[in-house]
Amino acid sequence: MMRGSLLPRCSNSIFPPPPNSNRLQPPSLKRLSAPTAASSGAQSRLTFSQNYRTAPNRLRCSVSESQWKQDREMATGDEQQDPRIAGISSAIRVIPNFPKPGIMFQDITTMLLDTKAFKDTIDLFVERYRDKNISVVAGVEARGKPNKLPGEVISEEYSLEYGTDKMEMHVGAVEAGERALVIDDLIATGGTLCAAVKLLERVGVNVVECACVIELLGLKGRERLGDRPLFVLVNAT
Amino acid sequence: MFAAENGLKGDPRLQGISEAIRVVPHFPKPGIMFQDITTLLLDHKAFKDTVDIFVDRYRDMDISVVAGVEARGFMFGPAIALAIGAKFVPLRKPRKLPGKVISEAYELEYGTDCLEMHVGAVKPGERAIVIDDLVATGGTLSAAIRLLERSEAEVVECACVIGLREVKGQLRIAVNYRSLSMKMLRHRLT
Repeated sequence: MMRGSLLPRCSNSIFPPPPNSNRLQPPSLKRLSAPTAASSGAQSRLTFSQNYRTAPNRLRCSVSESQWKQDREMATGDEQQDPRIAGISSAIRVIPNFPKPGIMFQDITTMLLDTKAFKDTIDLFVERYRDKNISVVAGVEARGKPNKLPGEVISEEYSLEYGTDKMEMHVGAVEAGERALVIDDLIATGGTLCAAVKLLERVGVNVVECACVIELLGLKGRERLGDRPLFVLVNAT
Repeated sequence: MFAAENGLKGDPRLQGISEAIRVVPHFPKPGIMFQDITTLLLDHKAFKDTVDIFVDRYRDMDISVVAGVEARGFMFGPAIALAIGAKFVPLRKPRKLPGKVISEAYELEYGTDCLEMHVGAVKPGERAIVIDDLVATGGTLSAAIRLLERSEAEVVECACVIGLREVKGQLRIAVNYRSLSMKMLRHRLT
């Protein structure tokens, strides 16, 4: 099987594009920005509450509302924001200072409790990928550790804020030439996703796209992925 | 308890499911024959059949909560939840869930471990099922049941892909093993 074009590269290299029939639209056109819930003209504040139902997630928006409207108009172009996005966005809650001070944790478990939002999230990904000849969906374990998978594995080390961690995949789980997606709930710096992509590319898999529910803006995750396409549903800052 | 006893005897899907599971000897430590369901996840038909069998069973039972035990319960639970229109509640190891949680300790072979669930994830009176890939002693499942009952949910059933017959466990309530009789037979021969 061909694998010459799929050797591991640093994130700055250019990847040959997939055949046109399978080519996805550039993610920047399909990136769906979430309006801040209940925005009323003023810059939305972050609130937090343990009560799932009465405190919808307010994604902190660092741009003024007029800027947001402008961005939204640019995004609409020939793409309307999918009406399901607002419900998905508001189903995600933010927990401040978890797992440590200063981190605003995007908690998707509340979205899993909202059967409509959960279904809509899955549907949005399924609709995008169903006719793209994807044979592998690779899911990332959050803060994953080595030594969890039984049997033979390959490992990829990646940087954390302090130190490194290791991600593993079963030998033989995928075959060279397969077309894959990498899924995670959230992309921040992109370190985890990059490690996942490299694991797959090392065995000759074509990573067609990375897909996340949430993108944390300002952490350069998209840059770290280089030319590898990234599709997200919701932005947060 | 086992699928065969629940009227699924002869269900043609069970054999494929059983054969898709591989056994890894001496993992995570010597003497343990590890039932690896990741190979089942690579077999699209077997994976789908597994989920379908659970969905067929639970879809008309008014289940509003599917609680999945970390981590391999997460690989089956959400698909079942989506198909039957229930919410998915992850039951996690300590300090993984952000925000307010309730905890339940349970016994390991040596020492104890702990399972946590979000406060407010489940409402009183909701009907729930618990999903895990495998049941051995039943310790983890019992902790999961206690978490849900402390939130005043009704645990209708526990569902697992694999039940280890040769391990006798103390279970607080009767649990339903979706077991693979073919799988157990193979296990004994190796």
